[in-house]
Amino acid sequence: MNIRKILAVWAAKAACGACRAMGRQGVTWAGKLALMICPSILREMAGEVRKKIFIVCGTNGKTTTNNLLCAALEAEGEKVICNRTGSNMLNGVAAAFVLAADMGGRLDADYACIEVDEASTRHIFPQFTPDYMVLTNLFRDQLDRYGEIDITMDILKEVIHSAPQMELIVNGDDALSACLAMECRNTWTTYGISEAVTESGDDREMREGRFCRKCGARLVYRFYHYSQLGDYSCPQCSFSRPPIDYDAQEVQVGEQLSFSVGKEHIIANYRGFYNVYNILAAYAAGKNAGLPLKNFNRMLKNFRPENGRMEQFRVQGSGVVLNLAKNPAGFNQNISAVMADETLKDLIIVINDNEQDGTDVSWLWDVDFDRFGSQQINSITVSGIRCQDMRLRLKYADIPSLLEADVENAILARLADGCGNLYVLVNYTALFSTRNILKRLEESRP
Amino acid sequence: MKQKAPKYSLTIGHLYPDLLNLYGDRGNIACLMKRCQWRDIEVQTIEFQSEDTVDFQKLDIVLLGGGSDREQILVCRKLKKIQADFRSYVEDNGTVLAVCGGYQLLGKYYETREGRIEGLDLVNLYTEQGEDRLIDNIILESPLCKMPVVGFENHGGRTYINNNRPFGKVLYGSGNDGKSGYEGVIYKNVIGTYLHGPLLPKNPQICDHLILKALERKYGPAHLEPLDDIQEQEANTYMVQRLT
Repeated sequence: MNIRKILAVWAAKAACGACRAMGRQGVTWAGKLALMICPSILREMAGEVRKKIFIVCGTNGKTTTNNLLCAALEAEGEKVICNRTGSNMLNGVAAAFVLAADMGGRLDADYACIEVDEASTRHIFPQFTPDYMVLTNLFRDQLDRYGEIDITMDILKEVIHSAPQMELIVNGDDALSACLAMECRNTWTTYGISEAVTESGDDREMREGRFCRKCGARLVYRFYHYSQLGDYSCPQCSFSRPPIDYDAQEVQVGEQLSFSVGKEHIIANYRGFYNVYNILAAYAAGKNAGLPLKNFNRMLKNFRPENGRMEQFRVQGSGVVLNLAKNPAGFNQNISAVMADETLKDLIIVINDNEQDGTDVSWLWDVDFDRFGSQQINSITVSGIRCQDMRLRLKYADIPSLLEADVENAILARLADGCGNLYVLVNYTALFSTRNILKRLEESRP
Repeated sequence: MKQKAPKYSLTIGHLYPDLLNLYGDRGNIACLMKRCQWRDIEVQTIEFQSEDTVDFQKLDIVLLGGGSDREQILVCRKLKKIQADFRSYVEDNGTVLAVCGGYQLLGKYYETREGRIEGLDLVNLYTEQGEDRLIDNIILESPLCKMPVVGFENHGGRTYINNNRPFGKVLYGSGNDGKSGYEGVIYKNVIGTYLHGPLLPKNPQICDHLILKALERKYGPAHLEPLDDIQEQEANTYMVQRLT
């Protein structure tokens, strides 16, 4: 019996419970405490997972993809541990394992589905080697924290090299992810969408990796889905979009999403084209691991995002949708999803510049906010620590906005005088607090 | 009603946005465009991709942005082709805003651990790679405007400007090399700086300075109508108060 390990589990559970009682999230604290008491706890517990360990990396879509994959495995009757809340650095990952253990410190899990922050893979891989890595996409994100995309790619390449047995499941529509897979010797599988779905988008949209990473020539695209995702090839060397193993066909995007992959027809009640990729990634990962996924559609029907990813609330007679938007690629997709709702709406945009958000807010100018200058928008309120920057961003797109730095006041004001259909777009550190406000308001009957 | 023909017309050249687009440079373009349009100055922006030839004779303001190190190396190969024309433009008092990587490219070279990136040699300055990156908000006092200049810096290079005038004195942050206490460079009508954020929206007086210099070069003595800059000033003041 390992006293340290049991002690670590008890301490973590107690810490997490105490934090929750105070209305804080507490997951990372719990993980940190457990690692302090028993530094080998993550390695030991990962070894107790009976079947396979998946990790999900990539700039956008990690949490949704990982939670979908977890739900898909559970729908097959498997026991799965998962860092559902998106705490994806070393402490958060440790917490996912520790908090799932029983009071005797034992884990009862067939699979682990763990999303991992790209830069944190360096700290995770020495603890355990995953069997599969899903790589969703690579976009610019928080340049002040992570540096350029090239640095992120170097880190990923290094950890992938350290795990030669690990299989990769990559988004083949992303030239950066595909190139990374090609440069590693691991077995890899692709998912993607081989036909253009939407109008090929705004030419001004920010696109990464326009130039071939092998020879430097400008890549040629047959079409773009969004950002740099699309069907590309290099006119100068042999680099091109790889064959797609899990190819979404007949993709329909609207009030709901539907597509076919192989013989499976998939339907989900979500908005946002990017969710096709999230669903497809989870499906490809599960199938590739040999699971039948017979209950995939049923799982999707019951899947409720509960972490501020297009999460819906009903407050004082108004419908409220909360969504995380933390970098240009994600924000542009959010704008598309919001505008797909053609009814009149109020918008609140909350921008913080805490360390976890990135202290540099210049990315706001890479987002195509001009699309909010439409009849469908009743009002836009800017909020959060850097609401002044957000107001200025909109001013230079000729879009007037209301300023209310306090998020709760902003929400209450729009519930009182708005049109009954409110979207709240927030960046990272505003997510948890805004969600708490909305949950509290939803539960308190007037 | 007869419409009044615009008195002034300016053309902005955005150099290589396909390669140099790292830190919201589009915000600088949007700011220049809007602040011209709000004053009935006819304005257009021409984006030059890295394959395009650049006719500097048609340009009144040139913007050179920042890119990743890898992309900067790709850019510097293309730049050699336009070096002579770019130099004539600068010596003829052409207006230039060069930010981050673009600022480094104005100089003779950028010495990195992987080797030397040759610059355009338009301004007598050079850059060496430092130990770590200098990343934070930054505030300057600049001779070009009354308001403090606020922005964000994120650079591994240390830039040495020899006897040139700096763009500003550092009130908060690191600046050119983290030691001298100065940031950026002013040479004729060229501003080189590490400040993004982007630079111009929260520093409208710098934006107006660029527009005015471009108008003066083209039309002789010029005057800019004042604009309502309360939102710009509030955003600027918020950062100044927070950091000092």
